[in-house]
Amino acid sequence: MTTTSTPDARVAPRRTGIASATPSLPPARDEALVDGMDLADPRHVSLALQDVGKTYPNGRKALVDVDLVVPDGDFVFLVGPSGAGKSTLIKLLIRDELPTSGTVFVAGRDVARLKRREIPRLRRQIGIVFQDFKLLPGKTVRENVAFALEVTGAPGRLMRPAVDRVLALVGLTAQAEQVPTQLSGGEQQRTAIARALVHDPRMIIADEPTGNLDPLISWEILQLLLRINELGTTVLMATHNAEVVTALRKRVVALEDGRVVRDEVGGYHREY
Amino acid sequence: MGRFLLFSLKRAWQGFWRNAVMSIAATVTMILMLVLLSGLVIGLSGLAAGLQFVEQKVEVQAFVADGTPPDRIDALRAAVAAKPEVAEVTYVNKDQALAEWQATLRAQGKQDFTTATGRNPIPASLRIKLKDPHVYGDVVDTLKAATGVITDVLETQRVVDALLSVTGFLRTAGLVILALVGATVLFIVVNTIRLAVMARAEEIEIMRLVGASDAFIRWPFIFEGMLVGFLGAIATLGFLALAAGPISQGVATLVGQVPIEFDRDLGPRLVAIVGGTGLLLGGLGSFISVRTYLIR
Repeated sequence: MTTTSTPDARVAPRRTGIASATPSLPPARDEALVDGMDLADPRHVSLALQDVGKTYPNGRKALVDVDLVVPDGDFVFLVGPSGAGKSTLIKLLIRDELPTSGTVFVAGRDVARLKRREIPRLRRQIGIVFQDFKLLPGKTVRENVAFALEVTGAPGRLMRPAVDRVLALVGLTAQAEQVPTQLSGGEQQRTAIARALVHDPRMIIADEPTGNLDPLISWEILQLLLRINELGTTVLMATHNAEVVTALRKRVVALEDGRVVRDEVGGYHREY
Repeated sequence: MGRFLLFSLKRAWQGFWRNAVMSIAATVTMILMLVLLSGLVIGLSGLAAGLQFVEQKVEVQAFVADGTPPDRIDALRAAVAAKPEVAEVTYVNKDQALAEWQATLRAQGKQDFTTATGRNPIPASLRIKLKDPHVYGDVVDTLKAATGVITDVLETQRVVDALLSVTGFLRTAGLVILALVGATVLFIVVNTIRLAVMARAEEIEIMRLVGASDAFIRWPFIFEGMLVGFLGAIATLGFLALAAGPISQGVATLVGQVPIEFDRDLGPRLVAIVGGTGLLLGGLGSFISVRTYLIR
């Protein structure tokens, strides 16, 4: 496994085996093709960014020419210093923001072309987890998880089994009736992960999920995300945690000043 | 749909009580406005009924001097009846007039003093119905010219005109006040719902992220505004039901001789107007709030 960085590496869909070994990467921009992979094909690709740029109204360039393909079932770390564009990238994926240029595909759909009423359906395919958990303090663990189903109009008879299933998966069955203040940080984050999973999403996007947790608990959360990934869900995790990234030897996409400066398996060369 | 309604109504109810002080303030202003509205509706419909009553009665009434010889009265009656504007002339003698007057007094539950005077104080009269209530021609002049026969001419149109101007004034003033209070209610509802939206900012963010549709995010607030209108309407109608007795008595004393009969459908109409206005105003206020503070 190489640990050297290829500065202009754009895409590395290793698991698909489509990745080219050629260092000079790819002119294949015509249609929705990058590296010979059909970006709009929802069968294999969780998300894909093509030439994506994002400039905020104040003129700040958050992302510049970002190309990225994440096939289904991939586990990707998104690393980079603060202000490198990680959060912007995540906002584009959940269509909280629209790209200024280029195209963002999520589950095969060009997010810019989604109709307003289609956006909620897209978001149900993405489970999102935050550093600050974003749990509702007045609701129990079970209610917090069920809330995600409730507000999307899921039929009542399906709710309980679905919630029980994800609570078992994250190991919170015993804490189901507790409120967030009674939980440890790790348990709160697992609640948030359970909520993200309850729609049976195609991918989990975790924005610094271990940022507020001590190292031991961070490992627990990571183990959980790995397990979810093994069950077939794509995971994209933005993190500063060099230790975790280095130890796991998963695909690492590094952003700096809004550009992808590295995209390869393993290694975390710089302290961000 | 059922789940959506259940969810929205439940959240609207929770939201209403979450900021109870503001919600109740909004409801109280709503009640004030709806009471004003009902007052206006009742007043206007009472006046309309009075107007109709007066208009369908004799249009011109000429009082005949006591002791006028019958042939002079007959001559005058014939002269007036011959005019093209006149549809019918009736002569009401003193006894008939007294009986009518006593009947009116009894109907209003007032004491009859006429028996105490020892003689009949009510004059005989000629009652003239016009073909068109508004076209008098020279009927009044003819009657007034018959000095010695006619003591006074009462033109109902004068009363009608007076009633019309009262009605017009009441309608204009009422609508202006109503518009001002309505605008205040709207502002208060907008603000109440704005606070509700802010109180739920975190939930709304989570709802967006987990893929709640716009309807699930917005409608609970719309329902919360409508709840303010609904509760306001219920309170107003309850108040009106309790006050109905005293009000109609008050109106009767105020208007006096004109027996006001409200339409049979005034009750249902009030329920519809008050309920509809409450729901509409509450819904509109929260809609504005949701549009302004929940964009995205």
